[in-house]
Amino acid sequence: MYGFEAMTFNIHGGYLEAIVRGHRAGLLTTADYNNLCQCESLDDIKMHLSATEYGPYLQNEPSPLHTTTIVEKCTLKLVDDYKHMLCQATEPLSTFLEYITYGHMIDNVVLIVTGTLHERDVQELLEKCHPLGMFDSIATLAVAQNMRELYRLVLVDTPLAPYFSECITSEDLDDMNIEIMRNTLYKAYLEDFYKFCQKLGGTTAEIMSDLLAFEADRRAVNITINSIGTELTRDDRRKLYSNFGLLYPYGHEELAVCEDIDQVRAVMEKYPPYQSIFAKLSYGESQMLDKAFYEEEVKRLCLAFEQQFHYAVFFAYMRLREQEIRNLMWISECVAQNQKSRVHDSVVFIF
Amino acid sequence: MEERHLIPESGVAADQEPSQEAVEVVNRREVRLRPGAEEKLVLQFMDSLNSYLSFSHSLSSTLGQAWMELASARHSMGTARLNTSLLDLKFHPASTTLKIAECDDDSVDAKARFVLRKWISSEEVGEDEDSNSTKSPEPADDDDEVCYSQVRRERAKSLSVFGILIPPKLRAAQQSFERALETLVEMANMQSSFLYSFHQLHQEVEDTKE
Repeated sequence: MYGFEAMTFNIHGGYLEAIVRGHRAGLLTTADYNNLCQCESLDDIKMHLSATEYGPYLQNEPSPLHTTTIVEKCTLKLVDDYKHMLCQATEPLSTFLEYITYGHMIDNVVLIVTGTLHERDVQELLEKCHPLGMFDSIATLAVAQNMRELYRLVLVDTPLAPYFSECITSEDLDDMNIEIMRNTLYKAYLEDFYKFCQKLGGTTAEIMSDLLAFEADRRAVNITINSIGTELTRDDRRKLYSNFGLLYPYGHEELAVCEDIDQVRAVMEKYPPYQSIFAKLSYGESQMLDKAFYEEEVKRLCLAFEQQFHYAVFFAYMRLREQEIRNLMWISECVAQNQKSRVHDSVVFIF
Repeated sequence: MEERHLIPESGVAADQEPSQEAVEVVNRREVRLRPGAEEKLVLQFMDSLNSYLSFSHSLSSTLGQAWMELASARHSMGTARLNTSLLDLKFHPASTTLKIAECDDDSVDAKARFVLRKWISSEEVGEDEDSNSTKSPEPADDDDEVCYSQVRRERAKSLSVFGILIPPKLRAAQQSFERALETLVEMANMQSSFLYSFHQLHQEVEDTKE
């Protein structure tokens, strides 16, 4: 239903929309990135970030700094922003905000299960989990031997429970099963999020459909490229693609049979929104594909702020912050490894 | 003009006095042999040192590239999918071994030779234990195609700790580190070679002084 959000949205969502637009104004600008790219050491980066919203999170970190420390502390800023918004949100915004974190929850589940399979200590694994994806019984994942136990002992009481119906088996967990589980869960999550946004309707449904469809298409391309030369069969590959998006269903049929990057390019160039992405790459090359996708995603996320009275701004803000943290990670790695000439290979400017 | 100086032969008693003519013949022979052997050793030393320095430079750039590719893979996959806590602590055989070839010569200055054997499966460890050959990842024969597919499987198995669907950047990082390891072994062999040559030259100089 269009047109009436302006009358009622601000009753429950006005404060938080204002908050998230304020947070958006705090994202790093091109001038900030130019200063960061000229840093000689991680301490210089810390000094430049002290003048930004990350300042309070990094100021007490002792030298010598490590790149993972910078990423962890910047992630804490994102988590604090998110928790503040979540505790102020009412339905359906609170459910919408929770949906945003399910991807991290899936990553954490897979991290714990994989680490346990490799006989790693659970505490060590918990420290590596993303804070946005934590839930109460996450440590109990370590006792499960197969997916049925995983579901029965732990995940049945989590928001991921509905996504497990397609991957419950009694087979013991191994690297291949875990990978298929990760991608099956993520596929189910995206489809569920998409349906939820469609139910919300209005501008939220319009903008989120576009953003989630792009996410589904990007996943399909990445799954295709990453599965080239592996034991994953064509049928298994096809089963991991989401059932929505611009590429669904004909693009997926063509991607499922691709054997190299050039065939993937030939498929994607038939779709005008992705033609420009693949036009930036030379033949046979896939190194810059990630950056091209990130740039397109950032463009779409920034456009979400051009309209008011919808929930997509919250999703857009979270994703833009995550992109910013990725940028900071890359800049830190280039500075730490004394490879500043490579810094613009992966930095995506937001403004 | 040939130098005439008394060089004691091993086994010749000090109080014996060989004829002057015999000494001169011995001297001329030793003077003819020593420059050729010395030059050869000097050339070997210089060649080995030059190769060592080239490999050292190559190693530095290969390692730099490998670390950047690893950082790029981490940027792409995320820190949750690529971190040290996913490495496998279960007992498993090494995929790559380094063998120090045994020399028959027991002397201290014997040249050591390092042989890298990459991507050997656990079944092959027992069979090929006595073999000195380094398996190349890019064989040409039909029989070696089996070896090549096995190498690809071993590479994939080694990376499977981070998942099955991994980006090409991580595979590229693996290959760069693999090249760095090969370069390190070549450097060790070159170092062994020039140290051996240096020691031989040093011996020659010491012998000359005596």
